[in-house]
Amino acid sequence: MKETWMYKINPTVKLVGLILLFIQILTIHNINILLNLTIIVCLTFFLFNGFPLKIVALLLLPFILVFLSTSSSMILFGKGDTTWIKWGLIHITEESFFRGIHIGTRALVFAFLGLLFTLTTKPVLLFYSLMQQARLKPKYAYSFLAGYRLIPIMYEEFKVIHQALKVRGIQRKKGLSTIPSKLKAYCIPLLSQSIRRAHRIGVAMEAKKFSSNGKRTFYYQVGFSVNDLYFIALLIGFSFVSYTFGHFYPYFPIQDVRYQ
Amino acid sequence: MDPFMKVENLRLKFPKEKDLLFKDLNVSINKGEKVLLLGPSGCGKSTLLQVLAGIIPRSIEVPMKADQLVLPDSSGYVFQDPDSQFCMPYVDEEIAFVLENLQTPRDQMKQKISHYLGKVGLQLSDLHTNIQTLSGGQKQRLAIASILALEPEVLFLDEPTAMLDPEGTIEVWNTIEGLMDQQTLVIVEHKIEHVMRLVDRVIVFNQSGEIIADGDKDEIIKSYLPILRMNGIWYPGVWDEYMSEHPRVTLEEKISDQPLMSLRDFEVVRKKESVVKVPVVDVYSHEWIAIVGENGAGKSTLLQGIMQLLETKGEYHLSGKKVTKKRELFHELAYVFQNPEFQFVTNSVEDELAHSLKVFHTEEHLIAEKVEEMLTRFSLEDHREKHPYQLSMGQKRRLSVASSIMQNQRILLLDEPTFGQDSKNTFALLEFLEQERQIGTTILMITHDEQIVEQFATRRWIISKGELSRDETVGKMNQFGLLHV
Amino acid sequence: MSKGLKLTDILVTVVIAIVFGVIYKLWSPLYAAVAPLGLHVDQLLYGMWFIAATVAFLIIRKPGVAFLAEVAAASGEFLMGSEWGLEVLIYGVLQGLGAELVFMLFLYKRFDLLVVSLAAVGSTIGSLIMDFYKGYIGDLALWNLSLFMGARVIGAILIAGVFAYVLVKALEKTGVTNLVRSANQSDYDALNQ
Ligand SMILES: Nc1ncnc2c1ncn2[C@@H]1O[C@H](COP(=O)(O)OP(=O)(O)OP(=O)(O)O)[C@@H](O)[C@H]1O
Ligand SMILES: Nc1ncnc2c1ncn2[C@@H]1O[C@H](COP(=O)(O)OP(=O)(O)OP(=O)(O)O)[C@@H](O)[C@H]1O
Ligand SMILES: [Mg+2]
Ligand SMILES: [Mg+2]
Repeated sequence: MKETWMYKINPTVKLVGLILLFIQILTIHNINILLNLTIIVCLTFFLFNGFPLKIVALLLLPFILVFLSTSSSMILFGKGDTTWIKWGLIHITEESFFRGIHIGTRALVFAFLGLLFTLTTKPVLLFYSLMQQARLKPKYAYSFLAGYRLIPIMYEEFKVIHQALKVRGIQRKKGLSTIPSKLKAYCIPLLSQSIRRAHRIGVAMEAKKFSSNGKRTFYYQVGFSVNDLYFIALLIGFSFVSYTFGHFYPYFPIQDVRYQ
Repeated sequence: MDPFMKVENLRLKFPKEKDLLFKDLNVSINKGEKVLLLGPSGCGKSTLLQVLAGIIPRSIEVPMKADQLVLPDSSGYVFQDPDSQFCMPYVDEEIAFVLENLQTPRDQMKQKISHYLGKVGLQLSDLHTNIQTLSGGQKQRLAIASILALEPEVLFLDEPTAMLDPEGTIEVWNTIEGLMDQQTLVIVEHKIEHVMRLVDRVIVFNQSGEIIADGDKDEIIKSYLPILRMNGIWYPGVWDEYMSEHPRVTLEEKISDQPLMSLRDFEVVRKKESVVKVPVVDVYSHEWIAIVGENGAGKSTLLQGIMQLLETKGEYHLSGKKVTKKRELFHELAYVFQNPEFQFVTNSVEDELAHSLKVFHTEEHLIAEKVEEMLTRFSLEDHREKHPYQLSMGQKRRLSVASSIMQNQRILLLDEPTFGQDSKNTFALLEFLEQERQIGTTILMITHDEQIVEQFATRRWIISKGELSRDETVGKMNQFGLLHV
Repeated sequence: MSKGLKLTDILVTVVIAIVFGVIYKLWSPLYAAVAPLGLHVDQLLYGMWFIAATVAFLIIRKPGVAFLAEVAAASGEFLMGSEWGLEVLIYGVLQGLGAELVFMLFLYKRFDLLVVSLAAVGSTIGSLIMDFYKGYIGDLALWNLSLFMGARVIGAILIAGVFAYVLVKALEKTGVTNLVRSANQSDYDALNQ
């Protein structure tokens, strides 16, 4: 893994920027513009995520399913007038087809943007930044941080529950019918342990003079840098390029995929 | 003058319990006093400490009331359970969290973090170490370090050294002694050998949460010895007394030549790395093997390997048969986790005890009988309907031991089964184990208590830095003992 | 008393949410895999994404918990690298609001199966709002749209309503819920005996 400039963007700026882009994408109904944007976002993702291609490829695998699952019903059952195929309930029209592709692509862009964010942002720094730049209350931020700390612990806990069941002799039956009882044997203790642990940690935090409203200093100072400017410029560039090219060099003669 | 810390007529009751835990309890502590709370397990020491620190009812809601309640402005609390008092993932971040709360300027943090870690003797090559990879003892040191960072007016310590090796224990008490001139200190501790020199006042509770003695420490030790003894509380010289009353039994039975367990080039693997190595050992029936070694040496890891909870390499035979992944060991080996909470799989003390018998389809009335016997033996009869998590630390420990040895397995693997116990329960447990041993059970027990090793064990394994470095007999064995090993 | 949730309430809520965040993450490949079957079989599974709100509220029973839990679960899912990316955050907000509003309508005083099921429907409405904007579901053939919404509502009631209710009942048996709920007045009265 190598840290690209994307890692150095202020996490709050990154998050807000991406959410604004997200909202903007919701207003794009022109498939040409969206396709352009997808290509640029995709390029950005591959250039700057900083992870080895092998790992990234593995993470991208579910994206195909996402695309299929979002687009398929619209393609097969969406409203439209120019019929391509009609077969029983299935009615594929030109309009529904492009609308389906549009929403599938849209889901893809969101997925790429999301993954780009998670791959290039450390949760600890995100929450420190949200406290410092977005005035997130420390009691929320530290709850989230403590919560994330518990993820690996929950995994350990899962192993421990497994060990305890082994040590205490829960029979190892196989078959589908044992799934509910197994689910219960793992789920309930896992949840109740996590709640107890969370409660105790909360108690310990308060005992360590954590106060929700008091002032505090920060071990990690998250500031701004020139990278933030690059990032904002990049986002604006994205929109500009995709709109311009979408309008002047469309791939398809469609302006709006919605049913008129 | 206003008192520094005072509770007057404290009444406290856990929800859904029949009885009050405290009924009109009065305690007052002056600034700079160093107080030790003594009492049998389950009498309410931890609960009182939490009331004094303001944790109950501010953070934990428990119905209580008091005519007067004067509490210190700032207090530090070291919890009994090392595992769940951290809120950040890394060692440095954990102490930084406290420093942040105190608004320490950022540029001083790094230096302060190393300072406090140094004070408790937690040497780490990298401050940014994941807390999860520390051993129980190392975690407790970190907990103390982060409390020291609070620089509190009053320090509340709830058995802070229960999990530490002897060296670590001395070190921690020395540390606390070194910083305390003016410091007010309230300590709960069962094992009093080291802590006695730190305190000047002792408050003694009985089983029902009443104060039965309160005064200067020498006074208490001099005049209240019978009371301490009667309530099953540790006091200086307990062991000498015990040993003179119970001379060590020597082993009469002949040990069979066939080893019960044998390990050859045995290695326990954690995340693909070998953590403990055992070149050659054979274990026979009637043996009581004490496993000792410093915190983080790999004792627990070794037991987990033997129980096949972790991956292992090398040869491992039980009763002459090779141990494979498929083989279910819980028929043959009983296992007690270092953290008692890991053990619990049901919702009440009774069910917990009955659980493993039910797995074996034991008849109902036999189960009931056995459960009853264990409840009494381990002083849990008043708590049968509680959820295991609602027990006091000592009670949890006893329950975890009791529930895992219900089915008379031939080998017991016990990870520090006596920590956090009062003397009555410690001896009850040890005597029970001794009985079992005499009828042929083998005991492998991790402990930091040298006295238990001397008085009860027949053999000692010293684990150091991930290796079984010594294997020696202890106690007065007759010629049939372990001489053929 | 102090306004807002206490630290321990928030922590417990967040942790419950994160447990479900992990489940959400595991759930989405399953969901995405049945989706291309068509006819909205997948919608029956959709309710799983509403469960954090109802479970957390049933456990803690305080205002704001349902919303917080759903948002926290969504951000947990997001930070674990959800294949749905950014949109889970927005969905989380709307679904959380949907459930929260229902609990609010009942003044946070009712914890029965009916109210929980209604909250599940509330979350469903929240998610549908997004789907109208993002997924153009209004442009589905009418019969198909009804099937879509019907399946989602039924799934939501079954998973985020009934299943959540049963789950919390089982948790109550472990005594863990006493930690976060207020003690009974009767327990306080007993102090005076
Ligand atoms: N949440 C709870 N609900 C019900 N009973 C409880 C709860 N917590 C503690 N108790 C009971 O209150 C009593 C006092 O517990 P406490 O933890 O204060 O004991 P202790 O003196 O510290 O014992 P130990 O030395 O074993 O740690 C015990 O009998 C315990 O079972
Ligand atoms: N879950 C874990 N994951 C990774 N490493 C671990 C884990 N638990 C323990 N270790 C490491 O393995 C080594 C041995 O730990 P172990 O718990 O066996 O020590 P121990 O001898 O039982 O110490 P203690 O007396 O403190 O209980 C330690 O260095 C510890 O940091
Ligand atoms: Mg205690
Ligand atoms: Mg250990």
